[in-house]
Amino acid sequence: MTDQTRTPVVDFDVFASNTLAANNAAWEAVRTECPVGWTQHNGGHWVISGYEAVAEAFRSWEVFSSARPNPEYASITISNSRIPPLIPEELDPPEWHPVRRILAGQLSPGAAERLRPRARHWARRCIDEVIETGRCELVTGLAFPVPAAVTLEWLGFPESDWEAMAHAFHDPSAHPNGSPEHRRAFAAFAAVTARVAEEVALRTRSPRDDALTAIVQSEIEGERIPSELAEALVFMTIGGGVDTTSALSAAALWHLHAFPEDRARLLAEPELLEPATEEFLRFYPPARTHARTVTQDVEFAGCPMHAGDRVLLSEIAAGRDHEAFPDADRFVIDRFPNRHLSFGAGIHRCPGSHLARITFTEIMREVLDRIPDYRIVDAEVVEYPNWSMIGGWANLPAVFTPGPRLG
Amino acid sequence: MRVHVDVEKCTGHARCWSLAPEVYELDDLGYNVTPLKDVPPELEEAARKGALACPELAITIEE
Repeated sequence: MTDQTRTPVVDFDVFASNTLAANNAAWEAVRTECPVGWTQHNGGHWVISGYEAVAEAFRSWEVFSSARPNPEYASITISNSRIPPLIPEELDPPEWHPVRRILAGQLSPGAAERLRPRARHWARRCIDEVIETGRCELVTGLAFPVPAAVTLEWLGFPESDWEAMAHAFHDPSAHPNGSPEHRRAFAAFAAVTARVAEEVALRTRSPRDDALTAIVQSEIEGERIPSELAEALVFMTIGGGVDTTSALSAAALWHLHAFPEDRARLLAEPELLEPATEEFLRFYPPARTHARTVTQDVEFAGCPMHAGDRVLLSEIAAGRDHEAFPDADRFVIDRFPNRHLSFGAGIHRCPGSHLARITFTEIMREVLDRIPDYRIVDAEVVEYPNWSMIGGWANLPAVFTPGPRLG
Repeated sequence: MRVHVDVEKCTGHARCWSLAPEVYELDDLGYNVTPLKDVPPELEEAARKGALACPELAITIEE
């Protein structure tokens, strides 16, 4: 895939920088040097890092396809992951459209708002578990379990499934490749898909009042969707819901510890959590990159792209583009406007974004109301081992002034 | 003031509605269906904020 027609060439390996600071610095360097370029690393692919180019590529689905060129491998990551199809994200129109409608209806702003009390309930319960002790592991005790509980309860999985299902999606990001947790997580994927198939079959026979049933009963052109499509949609929803909002929450909890002036402002002006949520998203996008495939020979941002070329779009680099954001390297708690691309742009914009914002808000409110003086034990902080796609923290142990349970 | 929403560009971020629910109307899927609309003076500031927040730049304001 390398020839002299693919220029300009940049020396960029997205897997080479394995800490938050190093990965951010690598993206800053490549965007500053060349907002659209070709790298020969990782099989050869385009690297798009400037805000305008990333936004335009996200919007141009006719040119930058999300469909799988090889059905075995995920198309939306550059790492050739062997995971079940991500539907509707890995579909292009026209197939994309009716499938997206199903998820959009289930996760509309109004539907997400109706789940706010459940997000509050689970956040409150997690804090209740630890508040008398004065100690909490903020990832495994809060940021990880709350989005998982909200998502899996809403879908309608029994509580006995939640821990294993959530770990199947969290552990591949949180633990290094080759670790026991990482190996177990990939085995657990098979168990998750089997449980999804069982519950989809169960809802087909005996409908309940839950999102699994709504997905199973949804129709395309007047026909009930096939069970494989329902299973794929449920799998995508779990994957999208479990370890993304947790990564954002972990980032915000770490940030407010590392930057006490931002915590002080949020405590003094609670209404700033709304713009701060957008700034956390811009500064710490949980999904840092997405891949696409070029469908036709095309000149994009002056670069000659060829049908079949792989492309890596960088939400993190776009969010730090000085052309798009004044003072882009500074976290500005009340930044406005803040048109970050951390939920993507164009037709594949994260359909869970509304529920993500609500769940994140409820987690943060619970922390700011009940353990506002928490301090993270810096020596025990563990970042995710790889920041190429999902970026977050595996461990954020904290201490705080104990308080009373509410539940 | 009037707001104009290019519904072809809307992809359902719903930032406009979140900042100015009295101005911007969503359908059941969360996509903007606001027709060309006159904005009363007391909602002008919210309408401007909603337009500025749109990641797809789908909203224009006629002052």
